[in-house]
This record gives sequence, C-alpha cells and structure tokens, in this order.
Amino acid sequence: MKRQNVRTLSLIICTFTYLLVGAAVFDALESKKEKTQKKKVYDRKQELMNTYNLSQFNFDELERVVLQLKPHKAGVQWKFAGSFYFAITVITTIGYGHAAPSTDGGKVFCMLYALLGIPLTLVMFQSLGERINTLVRYLLHRLKKCLGMRRTEVSMVNMVAIGFISCMSTLCIGALSFSFFEGWSFFHAYYYCFITLTTIGFGDYVALQKDHALQTNPKYVAFCFIYILTGLTVIGAFLNLVVLRFMTMNSEDEKRDAEQRALLSRNGQAGGGVGGAGRGLRNVYAEVLHFQSMCSCLWYKSREKLQYSIPMIIPRDLSTSDTYMEQGEAFSSDPLHPLHSNGCICSMHHPHSAISSVSTGLHSLTPYRLRHSKRRSSI
Amino acid sequence: MKKQNVRTLSLILCMFSYLLVGAAVFDALESETESSRRRILELKRTEMKKKYRLSEDDYRQIEQVVLQAEPHHAGRQWKFAGSFYFAITVITTIGYGHAAPGTDAGKVFCMFYAVLGIPLTLVMFQSLGERMNTFVRYLLWRAKQCLGLRRTEVSMENMVSVGFLSCIGTLCVGAAAFSHYEGWTFFHAYYYCFITLTTIGFGDFVALQKKEDLQEKTPYVAFSFMYILVGLTVIGAFLNLVVLRFLTMNTEDERRDAQERASIKRERGLLTMGKHSHPLTFTRCCGVTA
Repeated sequence: MKRQNVRTLSLIICTFTYLLVGAAVFDALESKKEKTQKKKVYDRKQELMNTYNLSQFNFDELERVVLQLKPHKAGVQWKFAGSFYFAITVITTIGYGHAAPSTDGGKVFCMLYALLGIPLTLVMFQSLGERINTLVRYLLHRLKKCLGMRRTEVSMVNMVAIGFISCMSTLCIGALSFSFFEGWSFFHAYYYCFITLTTIGFGDYVALQKDHALQTNPKYVAFCFIYILTGLTVIGAFLNLVVLRFMTMNSEDEKRDAEQRALLSRNGQAGGGVGGAGRGLRNVYAEVLHFQSMCSCLWYKSREKLQYSIPMIIPRDLSTSDTYMEQGEAFSSDPLHPLHSNGCICSMHHPHSAISSVSTGLHSLTPYRLRHSKRRSSI
Repeated sequence: MKKQNVRTLSLILCMFSYLLVGAAVFDALESETESSRRRILELKRTEMKKKYRLSEDDYRQIEQVVLQAEPHHAGRQWKFAGSFYFAITVITTIGYGHAAPGTDAGKVFCMFYAVLGIPLTLVMFQSLGERMNTFVRYLLWRAKQCLGLRRTEVSMENMVSVGFLSCIGTLCVGAAAFSHYEGWTFFHAYYYCFITLTTIGFGDFVALQKKEDLQEKTPYVAFSFMYILVGLTVIGAFLNLVVLRFLTMNTEDERRDAQERASIKRERGLLTMGKHSHPLTFTRCCGVTA
C-alpha cells in the first residue's frame, strides 16, 4: 500500500487507541469522586431545603435564578475589555465559555468572526513562531562561537531543548502570576495556564473573573491578554519546530509521487533515448543534479523549493543515489564536515563526485528501476 | 526588510486590529442585553429572597449548592462514555468544560494526556484530510472525464468549492441531527456544530447532556462521537487545502534565502576557480553551451 495511506491508517488507529486508553484512565480517576460529590451536594441541598422550608418547586425557582445569574457573578462581561477577552478566546479557539453570546446577532457575528479570525491567527502564530526560532538559532550560533566551540552549528536537539524549556518557563511564570492575582494554588494556576495555552480552554478556571477585575484593574487585564498571546506564540514556535513538518508529510510524499509519475511518462516519451535526444536529456539531468547537489537539503526536506528551479526531478532512489547517500552518511560521521542544523549534508565540497556518480546511473534509468524505488526513510 | 519579517509584522498588526474591531462589535451587540438581563435577574433575586425570607448569607449558601449541583444535572460525566467524550474534547482541544477533572490526579493526567494527544491528533487530521483531498481530486478528475469535458485537470478553485460545500454540508447535517435530538432550534444547533468543529468549544451548548443520555442512548452517543471526529476531518481537509501552505511560508522563504546564499557562495567559488581552469567550465557554469 502507498506510504501515505499506511501512515494515515496508522495514525487513525493510534488516535482511537489513545482515546480508549484516555477514557479508561479518566473513568478510573474521576468516577468515584463524582459519585461521592454528587451525593454530598444532594444531601446538602436537602438540608438547606429543610432549613429554609423550601419545596422542590421553590428550590427549582431559586436554582433557575442562580444559574442565570452565574455569568453575571463574575462581573460585566461585554464591555470593551470583556469583549476583547472574548474575541481572544474566539480567534485563538481557546473558548472558555465564561461568556458566550446570548443574542442571536452575537452568535452570527461570532461565527463569521471565527471564520476569518482563526486562520489569520494560525498563520500569524506560525509566522511569528518561525521568526522566533530563527532568532534563537542565530543567538545560539553566536553564543557557541563566543564560547569558542569547534562545532558552532545549532542542532535540532539544541532547538528542541530550548523550545521545551521556554514552554515550561512560560507556564511557570503564568502559574506564579495567576496564583498570586487569582488566589489559586500554584498547581491550579499551572493547570489553568496549560489548559489555556493548549487552547483547550475548559473554563473551569478563568482569569479576570474576580472582583470585577475587567473593569477595575486595567494593568492586570493587559497582563493577562499579553500573557495569553505571548504564551501562545511560544507554544506556536515549539509546534512550528517540532510538529509542522509532520503535518505536511503526506502532501510532500504525494508531490514526489506525482513527479515520479511525470518522469516516468516523460521517459516513456523519450523512448529509446539513443542519440541526440537521449544525450540532450541526460545533459539536462546532469544540470539539474549539478544545481541540486549544491545542497542535499532539497532532497530531504522541502519539495516545494523545486517549483522555483527546474521542475524536473530525478528520483533519489536510483541505485547510484544510494552511493551518493552513503557518501553523505560518511560525511555526517566525519568531524570535518559537520551536519547542518536540520540534519542535511551540504555537498558543496564534493559536487563533481556526486555528478559523476549519478550520471553513470543515468544509463540504467528505466521504469523498471523506478518502480522499485527506495524512498526516503522517515516517519 | 526581509520578506519574512514584513509578513510577520503585517500579520501581527492585522491580528491586533482584528481583535480591536471584534471587541467593539461584540460590545455593541451584547453589552446592552447583558446589563438589562442582569438588572432583571437581580430584581428577581431580591424578590425571591423576600419571598422565602432569606438573608444574604442564606442565599449564598443556596447559591453555592446550586452551582455545585449543576454539572451533575447532566448525568454521570465520568463513566466510560463520558470519559471518552471528555478525552475527545481534550485531544481535539475543543474543551467544552461541561466536565473537567475534579481530582488533582485527574488534572495531572489530563495535562500529560494533552501533551501527547494534541500533536497526534493534529497530525492525524491533517494526514487524513490530505488523503481525502487527494481522493476528491481523483473523483473530480474522473467525473470531468466521464462528462467528456475537454480540460480534465482539477483546478484549485474546484477543490476549494468542493471543500467549502463539504464544510457547509457537514454543519447542516449536524444542525439537523442535534436540533432533533437535543431539542435546540436549527440555528442554535448550527451554532453548536460550528463552535465544536472550529474547536472553540464554549460549552454554552453541549450535546449528550440531557438526563442520562450518555449512559442510555448508546447509538446517539456513537453518532455524536463520529460526527465530531468526521466533522473535524472535513474541516481539517479544508484547512489542509487552503491554510497549511501559509503556515510553512516563512520556513520556505528562509530555506530559499539559505540556498541563494549557498549558490552565490558557490558561484563565487567557481568563478575564482574558472579563472585558472578550462574556459568550458566557466561557460557551462553560466548556462552557456559551448
């Protein structure tokens, strides 16, 4: 089966299994407490009904009023500050629900607002996250140089470590601040920051809901907004570093397959390839490889790059390309030719050998060979 | 300034403006209703306190009990079906909040569960969405062939239209189903589906919360879960088609810049080499055939 299909099916099965396991664990952790809490609450309710001489009907009436007043308890939610808070929860998809549009007009606008706002926000956070990653990479590179290290390239491991530490510190800073301002325990404040910055946003803990903070404490309000947006940027940068490449894997494999098919059909058209036409084709291939051998990153990471160069690809699964790869692997273990930060090997030092090795392989370029292509090893 | 920096700064400005505009509009739409509703409810509360002869303190006690009892009205939330529902809301980041872990251990597990589950789910939906797009592209191509159209290539506009129609279709199917089973109006059910499938998940409308539905109406429970997951796939496919390319723009520009720098270095190197070697190398390097 095609690689993309295998990958997709495995992911689906993984997710379902993950859900089942999660459900079982949550059941085990929470079910008992829920039962005891329910009993306690209902007992207390009976007690109060007796104390204040209320019938079930009376109590239901009171209950209705209490529940309807619940969102108002936390203060005015829809003045400008509150609306800004709400708008943030919409376009970042956090969606606490502490305030939700009650008018139908509000609901309609909310949907339209989200339709444009969510993609805008996604792109913005990824854009900013990538800039931050680049800056961090540069700073780390300078630091390594300053410290006089031999290998000043910033590896993926470095970046992931820094990203992870940034995320943890962001959560801790938030936890400290919110535990102080909201009167929560450090753990609950940490949990609040986590649930907010992962955009889950249950709404069991919501900032700016105490003592009319939205109207009376503008500095704290500003801090909260800035914290949420900055925190989401930090998390977004980490996701950009670690997860984004996996989200484009299927598309890239599909593109590569399409190019291979195009190549196959072009090869077929070239026919026997003897004489001038074949040689011409071979020359063009050589030119392409000359260009591409400049950085083998092209082979391993982004296919889209080649849209801007010659849109003709030779599958790297030629037998000779394995030789090229082996040379490449030899490079990686050679301390004099260190790996680039994204794990690619720049063959700038050995372009001619690459060309010669591949051009000899061109004689053996047949559809049969291509069908048994070896693909890049990845997840 | 570099293209990526311009792009990023523009996006930041865009987003802030968008937030300001949104805040102003929501204020205009909801503020009035909120304050009048609050006035009415507070009057009613005073009336009730008088009627049942409750002091402020008494009222607070009752209020506390009512608020604590609220989540239990919707039935058991943490049996297997409820926990599965909760697990879905965590890893898809919908996060209604209709049920949230009460125990500290539950909170801790929830955080670890999310750390692994959210990226897994993101990648899964994008993966499946891409497969769906490829399949739709193929079907559309065959349809064009069958209809005997001259140009059988599937354009981006075709795909976007089909994607958009699928999204609207999914929302309408959900709206019809939930308005029937939950007793909401079609509009409120549509709003629920929209808020769910965009993973905002306010929790003002939540399915499977009518008394003991989670335990008793198993086919409806299964339908709800399937609807959420399939709906998210459809939305994910549309995002994969339209938005994903923008998420990688900066990274690709950065890569292209790096390659240009590398190729410039290389050209310079070859030029210095070419001065001392065969003229053919020089001309070949510049793309001129001898």
